[in-house]
Amino acid sequence: MSEKSRAERAQHLRERLNNELNRMSLDQCVKCTICETSCPVAAVTPLFSGPKFVGPQAERFRDGDSVDHSVDYCSSCGTCSVVCPQGVNVAELNSLARAVMKAEHGVPIRDRIITQTVLMGQAMTPVAPLANAVLDNKLARFAMEKVVGVHRGAPMPTARTQSLHTWLKKRPAPAKAPTRGALVYFHGCAGGYFEVDAAKKAIEVLEHLGYEVLVPPQGCCGLAEQSNGLFEQATKSVRALVKALRSAGTDLTIVSTAGSCTGMLKHEAHEILGLHDTELADVGTRIREISEFLMELHEAGELPTDFEPIKQRLPYHAPCQLKSQGMGTPAFDLLRLIPGLEVVDSNATCCGIAGTYGLKKEKYDIAQAVGKPLFDMVKQTEQGLAACDTETCRWQIENSTGVRTVHPIVLVHQAYGLGAVTP
Amino acid sequence: MSDVVVIGTGLAGLTAALRLARSGRSVMLVTKGPGGLQLSQGTLDILGYTPERVERPLEAVAAVASDHPYASIGADAVGAAAAWLAGALVPELLVGDPARNLHLPTAVGALRPTALAQPSMVAGDAIGGRSYAVVGVRQLKDFPADLVAGNLARSTAPDGGALAASAAWVDLPARPGEADPSPLTYARALDEEAFAARFARAVAAAAGPGDVVALPAVLGVRRSGVWRQVAEVVGRDVCEIPLPPPSVPGLRLYEALLALVRAAGVRIITGSRIVGRTLEADAVASVTLAAAGGPRQLRADAFVYAPGGFESGALEVDSFGAISEPVFGLPLTATDAGPLIPATYWGPHPLFAVGVRTDAAGRPVDAAGAAVHPNLYVAGGLIAGAERWREKSGDGIAVATAVRAADHITGGTR
Ligand SMILES: Cc1cc2nc3c(=O)[nH]c(=O)nc-3n(C[C@H](O)[C@H](O)[C@H](O)COP(=O)(O)OP(=O)(O)OC[C@H]3O[C@@H](n4cnc5c(N)ncnc54)[C@H](O)[C@@H]3O)c2cc1C
Ligand code: SF4
Ligand code: SF4
Repeated sequence: MSEKSRAERAQHLRERLNNELNRMSLDQCVKCTICETSCPVAAVTPLFSGPKFVGPQAERFRDGDSVDHSVDYCSSCGTCSVVCPQGVNVAELNSLARAVMKAEHGVPIRDRIITQTVLMGQAMTPVAPLANAVLDNKLARFAMEKVVGVHRGAPMPTARTQSLHTWLKKRPAPAKAPTRGALVYFHGCAGGYFEVDAAKKAIEVLEHLGYEVLVPPQGCCGLAEQSNGLFEQATKSVRALVKALRSAGTDLTIVSTAGSCTGMLKHEAHEILGLHDTELADVGTRIREISEFLMELHEAGELPTDFEPIKQRLPYHAPCQLKSQGMGTPAFDLLRLIPGLEVVDSNATCCGIAGTYGLKKEKYDIAQAVGKPLFDMVKQTEQGLAACDTETCRWQIENSTGVRTVHPIVLVHQAYGLGAVTP
Repeated sequence: MSDVVVIGTGLAGLTAALRLARSGRSVMLVTKGPGGLQLSQGTLDILGYTPERVERPLEAVAAVASDHPYASIGADAVGAAAAWLAGALVPELLVGDPARNLHLPTAVGALRPTALAQPSMVAGDAIGGRSYAVVGVRQLKDFPADLVAGNLARSTAPDGGALAASAAWVDLPARPGEADPSPLTYARALDEEAFAARFARAVAAAAGPGDVVALPAVLGVRRSGVWRQVAEVVGRDVCEIPLPPPSVPGLRLYEALLALVRAAGVRIITGSRIVGRTLEADAVASVTLAAAGGPRQLRADAFVYAPGGFESGALEVDSFGAISEPVFGLPLTATDAGPLIPATYWGPHPLFAVGVRTDAAGRPVDAAGAAVHPNLYVAGGLIAGAERWREKSGDGIAVATAVRAADHITGGTR
């Protein structure tokens, strides 16, 4: 990238940061320190001075130059914005400030690679056994750390031999005719390529409930690009996704198994990327995270709860980007409807991975320290299985505890008698 | 749908949710963020000044003016509510007698009356003849040990006796290379047994003369009993003195209450504000949650609104001085802030006594004294009639009004 365009880019982002409401919200900060006490990163490293210092305080001094480079250690987990009782958009401010800083100083090539989730999936699926072997290989991972900067111990997804869309094309038509109308299903990159099993099960659960499930071809939401400060790419990604999801119908409920990507569509693309498109707002108001959707049915008395018992204790972790949607923990409530299932909420703030943060070699140890209370809890309560709503968090938990971690819908699928948890 | 939606996770909201859940109600607790607990001293004030310093808080409660929030509750019920909450906190986190105030040293060496305090604090009660060995930590900027000791030494105990104090310092970083840790960072380090042992040895070596070793309140946040570990090594009683926020004793209380509420099966939504309500006839049918992706309605049979006061944004003053309660639009005791803001800091601040007036059940009432909604209750800082921070009455009001609301909802059945 030429120096000039980098400077222009930084200038443009700085103007946004200066002019948007997010920055106005810093005047609401009463310096109560509530965000400081909740930030999972500041708790484990002195390298990061915490949300209040980096956010509403340092922001006043960022006049033309980034004064506090420790903002790069913020993982964008969003916890500070969730807890701030005064409504300061701390995490959003920090994300913008980081984007400005990266525009000024350049983005490492590593951050450009690890954000390309769809590309990774498309490249890996046809050669899944080979890709998995490479990712399991110690020497290959060592080389990857040295050359690219992805820590050798960081979790990597497992490639599948068949993508969701290939399965959809090949499977026989659903046996039951729909009784409740149509829904659009948003599976995210993980559901499309890496956790195809969970995505299939989500579709089967929705069909079992009587819905016709439309699955338009769809790409990445751009969240990983956004949290790495690559705002232009993220904007392109999310706009393409919005278009794809709208192609299936403009008045249907959109149901998603991608917890954090749902947050991107509901509010982050608007608040962090600054997109005010009506199409985005339309998708953002129609989308429901799948447990949220099923609990809304339950509240309305429309969810069959003829669940078969699952006799097991199950540690459950609600990811940060689900908590920031301000809807509570619907998966926890949903799973507790299954008889015999003893669901234990981790009550942990964060698993540490925060999308791509915990993959980076200079942040890996921090991310592991952030996740430690969660890992300990999972190891103490597990009976062979844990549950969590977002993919990278599942991989992180699985990688750091050795405990198989699934999307909650997998257990709902089993409880409806639609098939056991497949290994 | 829940039986009850409780709004706010300050002392009032948490107490109401716990009491309701323990009597078998299904409860949804909704909050924008944590309330004032982690900004507080982690004690439970019932009544500290009337404006004279209060020795026997329940006797003073029995004598408040008729428009005070305590007036319609009565001293017995206030004492019972405080005792119930203290009893619920296992392991023991609040001790003392609701009928008698302790006088505990502050981080500037003043004496502060409070009814219930944490076990790690009570050895600091200012009784005539007591002497304090104040020990500061060089890394903690908010605990000026020399000032604390100097002010204590020139104070008189409430019983008229003299106090004495010495000051000393330890120099022990919580994390390598960090010059200026927050009290919470220091407390997290002391959660580690080995660091606490090193800290205790350093304190034992440094402490000057005094019966009680007074330390900044950073003696562990998750691990209970750190203060006992330190006291054993030091060989003297230890008392913790709360610091400005982030307040470690306040956090202990907040986390303990939250854990109780969760264990009682309460569902919790954090990070979103309640912005309005829908009605069916006069009753509140649902409250509107401003979640990401658009509003959601939370329905219930009854609602407890515990949003605090001006400090939490529950009461607003616009640039014309108009006071309002924006969520339910409840009638307030005053609507013009202008005449209520005095020119002096020290004088009374009647603005802080503005709020909602309630009936004996804790329901907001209109000017004629009739309940605005039959199933809406308020608790805590929103209730009119007290300048809480000056009187040191806000905690007791929060707990007593929360218990009142919960008990009216359950018909007193527990
Ligand atoms: C500077 C100051 C000092 C004080 N010092 C003392 C003292 O020394 N002793 C004493 O006894 N009292 C003191 N008080 C009074 C203190 O406020 C009360 O003691 C007590 O903390 C009030 O508890 P609460 O639960 O009513 O409110 P808060 O602790 O303020 O909690 C309110 C809760 O409601 C939530 N909330 C508000 N609006 C909404 C909404 N629309 N939607 C969702 N959630 C919402 C907030 O996020 C928060 O969780 C002081 C007050 C101030 C301002
Ligand atoms: S929680 Fe909000 S008001 Fe409090 S210090 Fe943080 S940003 Fe400021
Ligand atoms: S987004 Fe998360 S890591 Fe970043 S400052 Fe906020 S709480 Fe800390």
